[in-house]
Amino acid sequence: MIVAGLDMGVQNVKVVLLKDRKILSRGLAPSGFEPEKAVEKAFQEALEKAEVAFSDIQHITATGVGVELAPKFDSKISVVSADARAAVYLHPSARTVIDVGAEESRVINCDEKGSVLDFALNDRCAAGAGAFLEAMARALEVKLEEMGALSLKAKGTTSISATCVIFGESDVVSLIHKQEPKHEIARAIYDALAERIVSMVHRVGLKPDVILVGGVARDIGFAAALKRKLGTEIVIPENPEYAGALGAALYAVENLGGR
Amino acid sequence: MEKGFGEKKYMVELSEREVEDLRNSVKATSLKLMDEYIERMKKTWPNRPKIMEYFDEVAKFFGTREKEILKAKEEGRKVIGYTCMFAPIELILAADAIPVRVSSGIYDTTKLGNRIVPVEVCPVVRSTIGVGMIGFSPHLEVSDALITPLTCDGMAKLSEILSDRKPVWTVCPPRLKDSEQSMRFWREELQSVKAKIEKLTGTKITAKKLKTAIETMHRATRAFRRLQELRRGAPVIMGRDAMLVNQTSAWDDIERWTKKTEELCSELEKRRQEKILACAPDTPRIMIAGSPALWPDNWKLPNLIEEANPQGVIVADEFCSGDRFLFDPVGVDEWTMDDMFNAVAERYLLPSTCPCFTSEDGNVDRVNWLKARIEERRVDGVVYHVFRGCMLYAMEYTRIKKALDKINVPVYYLDTDYTREDVGQIKTRVEAFLEMLKSRVEF
Repeated sequence: MIVAGLDMGVQNVKVVLLKDRKILSRGLAPSGFEPEKAVEKAFQEALEKAEVAFSDIQHITATGVGVELAPKFDSKISVVSADARAAVYLHPSARTVIDVGAEESRVINCDEKGSVLDFALNDRCAAGAGAFLEAMARALEVKLEEMGALSLKAKGTTSISATCVIFGESDVVSLIHKQEPKHEIARAIYDALAERIVSMVHRVGLKPDVILVGGVARDIGFAAALKRKLGTEIVIPENPEYAGALGAALYAVENLGGR
Repeated sequence: MEKGFGEKKYMVELSEREVEDLRNSVKATSLKLMDEYIERMKKTWPNRPKIMEYFDEVAKFFGTREKEILKAKEEGRKVIGYTCMFAPIELILAADAIPVRVSSGIYDTTKLGNRIVPVEVCPVVRSTIGVGMIGFSPHLEVSDALITPLTCDGMAKLSEILSDRKPVWTVCPPRLKDSEQSMRFWREELQSVKAKIEKLTGTKITAKKLKTAIETMHRATRAFRRLQELRRGAPVIMGRDAMLVNQTSAWDDIERWTKKTEELCSELEKRRQEKILACAPDTPRIMIAGSPALWPDNWKLPNLIEEANPQGVIVADEFCSGDRFLFDPVGVDEWTMDDMFNAVAERYLLPSTCPCFTSEDGNVDRVNWLKARIEERRVDGVVYHVFRGCMLYAMEYTRIKKALDKINVPVYYLDTDYTREDVGQIKTRVEAFLEMLKSRVEF
């Protein structure tokens, strides 16, 4: 039985194919302005890797912020539900899921079956998500991929506010003018984002194990800051950005009667 | 707009041309929106009773109800508006005046309000200021005077700002309600409002007239409670429709509203017997707590809940414009003037669960009220709705959340204002919450 999960993210469209509840392959394409094309590309990648045809897919479950833009699917599910299912699949003792995406972040409490018990989403503002890091890296004139490693050299001598991307940016600029070292500013940036996420975690409750998913989970600078601020171990799965698509695929299995 | 009404302390000067253009554009969007929302309610509830069309008509601004009020005014009756449910409706009715609630639920006028107060201020206040600026609200415009209870900071300053347009009669509910001195103070506040009502209308509020008014409101409360009773069992009415009926009671002729509501209830009771449901019996049962969702623009949250996939049904709310509005009857022991007046004063103060109150044990009345409604309506989950800038509801959230955690009722905190632009983002949150409730119901 082959099924697909489709995650219509703000920045990337992700596809996960499952065969008998095991991951067969993954595909990713930038969302861009033509969601249909992005979906096609992501599917193409996943299908080629798995060496199966589109017609072999028995059920597609879609999720993600842009789910309304998905061209074709059999059922849909919210990202919150999808994340919880994926988290428990990836790490059976996960009870708190933190998903930091490009423009949305979520904290979810779930049970051992991957059912949602409580959740919180960031305020409708990008300051609590990946877009914040992108804007800050631009202000700092470093590549986003390099900012994480850079921040690990810092001791934590300064801080910025992350109430808003715009204010954060002006904070960074004034720190640059004060000739604060770049690695210290980088760490302050991650700390600011981590603090916002941590306050969301405390709103729903911190229950171990904590698993971090979403594209930003790949950023070592952020993962380190989150661990610091949360004071607990964090599990980061491989391919964390595919959690939503994976959870959707697991729902597809359930829709066909499997569990 | 009336000219030369006192010194303009807050209002900005707009040219007649600008006022005219704004009124036309706001009116066009609002009328379209109201029609659209009524259509959407019909679509969600395919066997919606015909009698609901009566309430649709009252809800449509600039329609038959406004014409009726204007005609009554021509015949010499006075209209007394109020900004919040602490206004003693019985006293208004006893003076043969027409009570109307003027707090506005229109989004476009919040943007006008932004010219006078910061965007951080709650949208009810900004929207009501906006309708005042362009003389737009059918309810504010027809009012000869306004009763403005000084409950929260927003309402207090709104009163000052509206005084640029209409005579305002402030009444100040005490922060602490459970003491004899608070009660004394509150009675005096209402005495002074009573005198103002009598002066404006030229009608003396006699014991006979007050008794009649109290009895009229008793009948309204009975009909109101009968309707809420029907939201207890398997859903025979959609939440939005019940909310619309509740809100129209603040604009309609209350005796006719009572009669029509009784008619609706008879129809719904028949349906309950015949097991004709408004939606599937296992639909998650939602309560909206917190800031009031006002018709028409703030219908967006009820719309999302009842049109979502999976669908929810709103079986309760705690709005001062909704389930709380006519909930409490005036409890009279003896029909003497003093006793009746004191009973009216008590009715507006003691049962109120508004977050403007506190005590040495905080707003414990509110916690108990919510828990009682949750139990009797078998609520599966609570959406805690907070207007941006509504500090009191926002701050009490933590206590309510703790209390509801203890009885294992999930609650989701949702802050928004009248904006139409955040519907997509709120939808994500509402659907995730409903999915969570749905899976709890199933397991």
